[in-house]
Amino acid sequence: MPLSMPLMRRALFAFAILAAAPLLMVRPAAAAQNVAEAFVDENIHKGLDILKDKKLNTVQRRDQFETLLLGLVDVRRIALFTLGQYRRTAPPEDVEAFVGAFKNYATAAYQSYFAKYTNQNLKVIGSTQRNPTDFIVQTQLLEPGSSQQPAEVDFRVRTDAGKPVLVDVAYQGIWLSLAQRDQFVGFLGQNNGNVRTLIAHLSELAVNLGKPAN
Amino acid sequence: MRGLRLVALGLCGLLLAGCAAPSPESLAANDPYEQFNRDALRRNAKIDKYIVIPTVEAYFSLVPEDGRRGVHNFLGNLALPTIFLNDMMQGEVSRAGKSMWRLTVNSTVGLGGFLDPASKMGIPGHGEDFGQTLAVWGVGEGPYLILPLLGPSNPRDAAGLVVDAVINPTNQIRFKQHIWWSGTRQFFTLLDLKGQSYQTIQGIQRSSVDYYSSLRSLYRQIRNEQIRNGRKKGEDLPDF
Repeated sequence: MPLSMPLMRRALFAFAILAAAPLLMVRPAAAAQNVAEAFVDENIHKGLDILKDKKLNTVQRRDQFETLLLGLVDVRRIALFTLGQYRRTAPPEDVEAFVGAFKNYATAAYQSYFAKYTNQNLKVIGSTQRNPTDFIVQTQLLEPGSSQQPAEVDFRVRTDAGKPVLVDVAYQGIWLSLAQRDQFVGFLGQNNGNVRTLIAHLSELAVNLGKPAN
Repeated sequence: MRGLRLVALGLCGLLLAGCAAPSPESLAANDPYEQFNRDALRRNAKIDKYIVIPTVEAYFSLVPEDGRRGVHNFLGNLALPTIFLNDMMQGEVSRAGKSMWRLTVNSTVGLGGFLDPASKMGIPGHGEDFGQTLAVWGVGEGPYLILPLLGPSNPRDAAGLVVDAVINPTNQIRFKQHIWWSGTRQFFTLLDLKGQSYQTIQGIQRSSVDYYSSLRSLYRQIRNEQIRNGRKKGEDLPDF
């Protein structure tokens, strides 16, 4: 079964929403039910205020988003996950360099996408607990004036590092970190497992996405 | 029977590709025909660039948005009998009822399916196909495949395409101009599909480190989500 029309649109929305979704949270009316929902409820909705703050210029908004995101997302954990089996075989210095490149790439991706979703809100509707420190918080993406079914956006929150951190986001069932891991592992498979090649490619992408890599 | 021909073409290519030994990475990704698939994706991209996208652009310039939406609704309505049958084969009686209700409402009030009043009445559409039905019955997906023109698939879903074409009641109605009707429908189905997806594809290409792997991951995740019908969230996620 090839990707059908709504599926392909969903795929792009997935890429875009997965990047911007953490910034679009709104506080639900009901009290949060657990630590993960509270994390999503109490922290991530701040992004919406930044998005809608017309007093900020583009650079201020971008910088505030970056600061907020890096405080909510466990970038290092995600970066190591996306390396797949190459995390174990790559030289440690290459792995560290990759974590830095991944951070730049991820931030650039967020920044290139977030502006598209300023008119949408996310509402927490519940959560499931996979184990004592692993939660899936379910939300709905609400588009004012739309008669379409709200899209489902799920956040994966881990609490085993002393505080809740976001490790993955899914739009309509497509998990961003899984997609990134599959991409990176596929790329490395085509390039003799050379992590430095991936770093160079990520840095190039970060530039193309609108932010120079450091 | 477009689907059947394309699947046959894909399988012929696979026989040739079978001569090359797959890499450990390809085997780990359940993609033993990866090099063949990558070549097929490149060929599809050329066909898209030189034939499909110009045709889509002509379609967009000649047919206004309302007209294109009507065509999209009409084609979706024609697919509803197949969706209904697959709902039933999966034991999804409630969803089958919704499919039948959508078919009834949109075929009548919706002027033969060109309009979609059912969605406004709170009966949104959903997809089902025989590939999903096979998955619900326990059939594994098999290795990843890129089909000519159609793109990402696997043996289970490719077989599902053929079965869906066979069981669709509208394909069983024989009349004098049947071949023209069938060809026109397939042409507009592909046009509609490409018209709604090519900008998406370009977006994924721009933001991907490896477009091929990205497409493979998205396809598998979307299909798994479809098979689960949105249930059992997060059950099969890996640990971080």
